[in-house]
Parts: sequence; C-alpha cells; structure tokens
Amino acid sequence: MALLKDSDREQLRQEFSQLESPVKLVFFTQALNCDYCPLTQQVLEELAGLSDKIQLVIYNFAIDQEQVTLYKIARVPAVAVVRVETQTVDGVVTTREHDYGIRYYGVPAGYEFGAFVNDIFDVSRGESGLSVQSKALLAQLTEPLHLQVFSTPT
Amino acid sequence: MAMESEWVTADMVEASEFAELSDRYQVYAVPLTVANDRVRVEGGMQEPMFIPRILQGIGLQVDSPFAKQD
Repeated sequence: MALLKDSDREQLRQEFSQLESPVKLVFFTQALNCDYCPLTQQVLEELAGLSDKIQLVIYNFAIDQEQVTLYKIARVPAVAVVRVETQTVDGVVTTREHDYGIRYYGVPAGYEFGAFVNDIFDVSRGESGLSVQSKALLAQLTEPLHLQVFSTPT
Repeated sequence: MAMESEWVTADMVEASEFAELSDRYQVYAVPLTVANDRVRVEGGMQEPMFIPRILQGIGLQVDSPFAKQD
C-alpha cells in the first residue's frame, strides 16, 4: 500500500518538476534488527518515483563497508542527501557528487517528511536559504561542527 | 548550516527510533540540537539566535551583534 496520498503525490510531483540538479538519496539499510528500515525504504522509493531528478541508491549497512565509511554512516536506517553536479569540459560530461554532510537517521515521516523534502530542494539548488549574516558566521568555522538534531514525527 | 561550511555535518535523528542515542543525550523534549556531543540547544529558535548560540557553544568567537545577548 502506498504511504503517500494521491493528492500529496501529485503536488510533490509538480513541485519536484522545479528541481535543478539531480539529488541522490543514498540509503543504508540492513536485513536484521532494523524495525524502521523497510518503511524508510518505501518512503524513499515513493519519492524517487516522483521525479527523474531524485535518484535512490541502496546499500547494506552490514555488507557495504566501503560506502558506510565513505558516507560516515553511524546507524540504520540512514539517508545521505547528496547533490549530483554535472560539468562539461571540452564536450566531455562528467558528474561528481557534492556531499554537504546531511544525514537523516530514521523514517522521514510526519514533521520530518516536510523537512526532508525541503532539504531535497535546497540540496538540488545548492542554496541553503540562510541569511547573509548566518553564512558569514558559518564561513568563520575552522574546526568540525557535528550537529545532531533530535525530533519526533509529531 | 551543513551546506554553508565544509566543517559542518548535520544529522537529523528520529528520537523515538534510536532509544539508546536518545538516552545518551537525555532527549526529553524535541527539537533538541546537540553540537559536538556537548552543546545543547533545546526547543526551536530563530536562525539569528540559533547559529551564534551554537558557534559560541563550541568556543568560536563569533563576530555578531546577536552573539552578545547571552
């Protein structure tokens, strides 16, 4: 059964038609001891089905160690939201991933669903939407800042 | 914030699905933001307050009028 309502699906499909650069959702799952992995996968599959600009790749947290390390994944279910950038040099098209370090742990549902969709747009545009002042402050960082934002679906 | 600095990584964590993590950070109310495992900002906060609060919390001397309010 679909998680998204038909009306929501249609609205999202229209909104996603505005996406600029493709966005890759890098999903980490595992078969055992992950109650929320199947639901997360279903949400992501439904979203990816709404736009050619949304790509879904699936890795196994227990097996794909190289990818777990690359994306610095701590637990599952996890989703990295990554921008796919295309460059044409001398007629040769190359793509690269721009990983801003945005991760979702758990099912992006309820309140988090809206935030997740917004992040897809921001990452696609490559624009955070923060104020000039905020950007200037963040540009002063010279050491790692790891943010963990805890929320609940309601 | 993660988009504006290569130093920033941002995890959105579904608190109820990761009980161990929520216990470790004593998540009693959401939203709760934890910066570098030690700085806690509880509740929603407007961007002009939030970002200086976080940056000050991790010891960055931020050059902002907002930063002087605490």
